[in-house]
Amino acid sequence: MSRRPSPEAAASPAIRRKLGVVLVDPLPVVRAGISLLVDGRPDMEILAEAGDGKEGVDALSRVRRTRVVVLVGLGLEGERDASWLIRTVRERFPSHALLAMGANADPTMISRALFVGADGYVDKNVDPVDFLGAILKVADREMVLQGPVAAAVGRIADSIELRRDLDVRLTGREREVLAVAAEGLTARQIATRLGVRERTVTTHLGRIYGKLGVGNRLSAIRMAARSGMVSVGSPE
Amino acid sequence: MILGVVRLACDALPDVEIVAEASSGPAAVEAASSLTPDLAVVDLDLPGIDGVTVLRALRDRGFAGRIVVVSERTDGATVLDAMRLEVDAYLPKPDGLRRIGDAIRRVLEGERAIDAALEQAAVLELGRFARQARESSEVDSSLTPREREILELLAEGLTMQQIGRRLDISPRTVETHVANLYRKLAVRSRVQAVSRAASLGLIELR
Repeated sequence: MSRRPSPEAAASPAIRRKLGVVLVDPLPVVRAGISLLVDGRPDMEILAEAGDGKEGVDALSRVRRTRVVVLVGLGLEGERDASWLIRTVRERFPSHALLAMGANADPTMISRALFVGADGYVDKNVDPVDFLGAILKVADREMVLQGPVAAAVGRIADSIELRRDLDVRLTGREREVLAVAAEGLTARQIATRLGVRERTVTTHLGRIYGKLGVGNRLSAIRMAARSGMVSVGSPE
Repeated sequence: MILGVVRLACDALPDVEIVAEASSGPAAVEAASSLTPDLAVVDLDLPGIDGVTVLRALRDRGFAGRIVVVSERTDGATVLDAMRLEVDAYLPKPDGLRRIGDAIRRVLEGERAIDAALEQAAVLELGRFARQARESSEVDSSLTPREREILELLAEGLTMQQIGRRLDISPRTVETHVANLYRKLAVRSRVQAVSRAASLGLIELR
């Protein structure tokens, strides 16, 4: 047995890579604060930051690392919102860890982030030490739920289960109809939006009510909102 | 044993009195729904009945009071189940029993008293739960309506030929669908396919 250490082993403590973090949040002050926190640690560094979903994905495709932690602000809105970003990262960069962050997010929002693929959730109102601790935990592939929401574990699980049931029971088209209906559109408006006849929309709606065991549109929308399938109200 | 500990703990609390004691699940549910106490202490390890079933029965019967659970079971799945039934405290046996008086007092003051380690176990379970739910939904959306139909018939125990006759297609076509179905479910046999589909919540086994 040779006692000579391999070059990698000898060099590893010195060149050991810092944990890379990519930060996507719409609020510049939040990004600045988190950057200061992360870069203040000897074992972590911010590789890139972005203010919206598309920039976030662009930044990630320039990162030449197999494993980074992506921080996703749930305040991202629009077509490329936080859910879109989480799904996209899951698909295109499956080895990265995803940590969703929000400000007093409700259980439904958290359940939606977890359902689409986040490895954990951290609330922005936690102590900075706990925030950094959450980043290290998801980097180790450990599920985290940091913040006052820990008390809502049960409700988050309920919401995820409801979402799964709705997904499995409804067809893709029915989900689409329900999502548009949640915007408060009439059957005729839904038909115009989806480019189908009004009759088709009412048929879909009838089938949706049947599958969900509800009597009307409001109850169906309420159920979908509780599951996080459609969002009603503000994202944060 | 537990009853004795709870009695002692409650005696030491000035504003707390025991209104009923029960040594079986049904008796506990009966007592809680007729007397509507502010708080119920539930031992999840009663003989002959799953403690989570007792909790569910309590909530189903409309018991809206606070619940303190004591149990030997400290696995994430059980703790998560209990949290979904809105328990306010969860104390592991036997060590947690020493803190039962304190837990009862805190819960009556509106606090929660779930051990940090138990809560962490429930959070890990929640992570698994979310992953599985996502997987269910992904597998589900990958199946064609025809494959769904064949999956249901496989679960009913029909042979390929019977399925072919039922759907009026050739056994060869059924085989192709079944092969695709196995691939999407990542299984190699009918039994595996049915059990996996059931665990993903895609079919209900009767």
